[in-house]
Amino acid sequence: MEKVPKSSQEDGQSRRSFVASVAMGAGLLLSYGALAIKGLLFLIPPKTSVKRRKIYAGKLDEYAIGSIQKFIDLEGKEILVKRSETGIDAFSAVCPHLGCRVHWQPENDVFFCPCHGGAFDAAGRPAAGPPKDGNQHLFKVPVEVDKSSGIVYLQVKDKREA
Amino acid sequence: MTLVVKRYIVAALSFFLLLSLLIVAFQESNMKRKETHQDAIVTGANEGCVTCHMKDSPALVMEWEFSKHAKVGIGCIECHVAEKGEVDAWKHEGTYVSVLVTPKDCARCHSKEYEEFSRSHHAKAGEILASLDNVLAEKVAGLPDNNADAVNGCWQCHGTIIKFEKDKDGDILRTGKEGKPVIDADTWPNSGIGRLNPDGSKGSCHACHSRHAFQSKLSRSPENCGKCHMGPDHPQIEIYNESKHGIAFYANRDRMAMDKKGSWVLGKDYSAAPTCASCHISAYMTPQGEVKAASHDVGERISWTLRPIISSKLNMIIYEDGFKEDFPHTRALPKIGETLDTNEKVVENEELVNKVVSRKVEKIVTWEERRDLMKGACLNCHNDTYVDNFYKQFDGLVTLYNEKFARPAKAMMDDLKKDGVLKADAPFEKEVQWIFWELWHHEGRRARHGASMMGPDYTHWHGMYEVSKHYYTEFLPAVIEAAEETSHALGNKYRRKVEELLTAPEHAWQKGLSKEEADALKSAYKKRYEK
Amino acid sequence: MGNSKDTETKGGLKFSEMLPFDWELLRHAGSEPVPNHLKKWWFCLGGTVAYLFIVQLATGVALTFYYIPSPEFAYDSVANITHNVRFGWFVRSLHKWSSNFMIVALFLHVMRVFFTQAYRHPRQLNWMVGFGLLGVTLFFGFTGYSLVYEQLSYWGATVAANLAEATPLVGELLGFFLRGGPEVGANTLTRFYVLHIGFLPMVAFMLIGLHILLIRLQGVTELRFENDPPEKAAGHFKFFPDHVTSEMIVGVLLMYLLVMMALIFPAELGERANPAVTPPHIKPEWYFYFNYRLLKLTSLKVSVVLTMVFGGIAFFWPFVDEFLRRRLKANDSVIVLIGVVAILMIFTFTVWESFSG
Repeated sequence: MEKVPKSSQEDGQSRRSFVASVAMGAGLLLSYGALAIKGLLFLIPPKTSVKRRKIYAGKLDEYAIGSIQKFIDLEGKEILVKRSETGIDAFSAVCPHLGCRVHWQPENDVFFCPCHGGAFDAAGRPAAGPPKDGNQHLFKVPVEVDKSSGIVYLQVKDKREA
Repeated sequence: MTLVVKRYIVAALSFFLLLSLLIVAFQESNMKRKETHQDAIVTGANEGCVTCHMKDSPALVMEWEFSKHAKVGIGCIECHVAEKGEVDAWKHEGTYVSVLVTPKDCARCHSKEYEEFSRSHHAKAGEILASLDNVLAEKVAGLPDNNADAVNGCWQCHGTIIKFEKDKDGDILRTGKEGKPVIDADTWPNSGIGRLNPDGSKGSCHACHSRHAFQSKLSRSPENCGKCHMGPDHPQIEIYNESKHGIAFYANRDRMAMDKKGSWVLGKDYSAAPTCASCHISAYMTPQGEVKAASHDVGERISWTLRPIISSKLNMIIYEDGFKEDFPHTRALPKIGETLDTNEKVVENEELVNKVVSRKVEKIVTWEERRDLMKGACLNCHNDTYVDNFYKQFDGLVTLYNEKFARPAKAMMDDLKKDGVLKADAPFEKEVQWIFWELWHHEGRRARHGASMMGPDYTHWHGMYEVSKHYYTEFLPAVIEAAEETSHALGNKYRRKVEELLTAPEHAWQKGLSKEEADALKSAYKKRYEK
Repeated sequence: MGNSKDTETKGGLKFSEMLPFDWELLRHAGSEPVPNHLKKWWFCLGGTVAYLFIVQLATGVALTFYYIPSPEFAYDSVANITHNVRFGWFVRSLHKWSSNFMIVALFLHVMRVFFTQAYRHPRQLNWMVGFGLLGVTLFFGFTGYSLVYEQLSYWGATVAANLAEATPLVGELLGFFLRGGPEVGANTLTRFYVLHIGFLPMVAFMLIGLHILLIRLQGVTELRFENDPPEKAAGHFKFFPDHVTSEMIVGVLLMYLLVMMALIFPAELGERANPAVTPPHIKPEWYFYFNYRLLKLTSLKVSVVLTMVFGGIAFFWPFVDEFLRRRLKANDSVIVLIGVVAILMIFTFTVWESFSG
């Protein structure tokens, strides 16, 4: 854009037109820039896909330390809830390798998958088999413990709404 | 239009455009990505229950679906599950359940509320079964094989002992192919707040937290308490409705945050008015800016007992095991650590019995401390002079009732008993007993309650006016009459007693007003009505 | 072309040499002086339509990122855009209002062209190209609205297909082609989608290109009145920056108006389309009201025939105008009167329909 127009203006007014041009340029840049930003934000997909629901899973003192309890989530898949010295964890029993169901082996201190011999430690980290090769962890289900009442909640995936 | 002007116009228009786009951004940030209505979660364990019961009693299941319990998957089994061998358990469709959900069941998750509630006066409401009230309902109004007045009346609020029907061997009667235990129809349905449950616990949470939606806005509403706290003998809801507190509430119901999830704190979440819960249970802001937590012990903030013939202040003795006793202020306070014999009413063989249990004193809360807890709520809206003076006014009324009417009347009744006119085991034989009963149990309470909750009409016209009228025109004559019925000599004795009583200056009005008082009265009426 | 031999040996990075256009000619064409009568704001209506078309392109492309053209998901995808996507409500509302504004501006543009008699020789072809664009725009509006797949979308499409069927001779084929089957359904939606985002834009681009080319080559008709002095100063002014700045005023103003409309009257979502339930009131979009009212006053076949007749007269208007003036000795006032009558009729029918049912 020409800052000093050679159009039907006298040179004496060149400063006025400079200010006018700057004002116009700034205005256009800001306003259409704002539109462009909105357009870009529009194109970033919203993160609505996976909703989670809080589900009651008993009381903390109903979980003996070192024990495992099974829980069925909203899609019918199993969740294994394990209480340890440090706290309480929940893992999806669906093996990240090919979807078989894992179970806890207290004698080996691992979650074991019988399909291809995969194994995970008490923290869900891959210890043996195909999950170890692919560095696939057991999927963790968030656990909430209400301090005052000791109630345990699991945050499970809720895909039931359209 | 010159180029410069045009450019300025573009600049100006783009400024407006920019402004409008800022508003768009603002609108966007305000868009509450609608929390889509959260469905109830029916976990696997509850699927069976819901499937059948949705057909049997759909509204019940729908109410449960509406509750907060359902939103986190707490369903039928979590509350109705029972252990094999429990007296009210049976195997229903493969699982051991119980119809009765007692405070102990709720305590699985709500243990704090259970602790507070169990030691409260509410939990003891069922213990009137041994009182005169019960006599009136079962004996005076009832038939030998039909105590429907107690069943439908007193017990529905106060609660009763849950009893089971027995077979010929004395075991619990069971019916149907599942062997469901048969509850005595007189005792179920019953959701009285002091219900005495088979598992030993006292009370019923759903007396206030109606099932199965368990809405907090219901429990916070004054109407909820008004189901039981009403009527000629304790018209709390009527008094509340008369009072400014009640007026403020009904006018501002939509500002009361009745639906608020979680805590509900006076002076933080709402300010328009107190409800029953606000003063007697719920949390409030202290002058130090902290939250005084809610407590389900409804007596925690009560300093007078307005229940008995003669009111007294109450000191709270808390024992090591959580058991609580109220001592009238006339009774000497024990020391902390002292072991005392306490009277505890328990259910044995479906009967209410009094047990004497030795307990160690752990804590004492004086009536002043209890009053301070109540004042903490008042101070949210009123300043301390206001509150202290209110208590002076309130104390004054209770003292007036105590001293002018209650004590003398009780003394008279005690004397009649001593003289054999009245028998201890025939509490409603003579008319004077009825009159005395109502004097303290009805209008006497109305007067005291009216003063306690700022209901002036209940304090005076439904209260002290009727106390005084009945005292002078009915009670005292009935005392004489009762004595006369026994013997002429006793009749004379009591005639003289009453005469002597009435010589006291507070009764002098009976003989007539003094000349000054009469003149003052006459001129007042003349000024007002004569034209 | 010319300098290839030089650059072969010289080398270099001059951009103008990379693209073998005649840059001088382009610069000349781009800065051709603009006749003074184009300073009148009436003449910016065509540019208005073009600007709004660009807005439609931009917002339309954005919407295609989230829209799903199948009866099962269409409505939900529009709901997703409206409720979930960041500024989704805004982009959709802009798209809706821009389409409405575009059609209004288009009608005003047609009226301007008519009353400046800018369709007369040698500009007959451009008028017909323009009318083609009018048809394309209305078809855009119709297909676009049907994509939302609300009740009115579905049933509006049904009624329109029935109207098409009532066309003499080719009716049944037309209806079948439009619907992609015996009933409005999945095929219809896909068809409308392809038309809306593919075929119609292509046709629009070609016609717009032709339209602008013809204008540039033939110039814009002056607004001359009988009482004007014979040689009114046929002055010129600079295209750049003067005319461009005027166009920017129009552009920013339109953008501002669109944003305000999007804020105050955001696009809403009616009930989901239900082939089993016919809503009590089926209405097309407002720009078809006059047609709908005609249909209600006559019958399917009659209204279609009448529309075709009127449409035909309008399309071939330059020749009708010529015929009226040459053969029937009509003067300009008569032409103006015909225009006024036609506009009033359309307006009346539109307003009438908007009040009924």
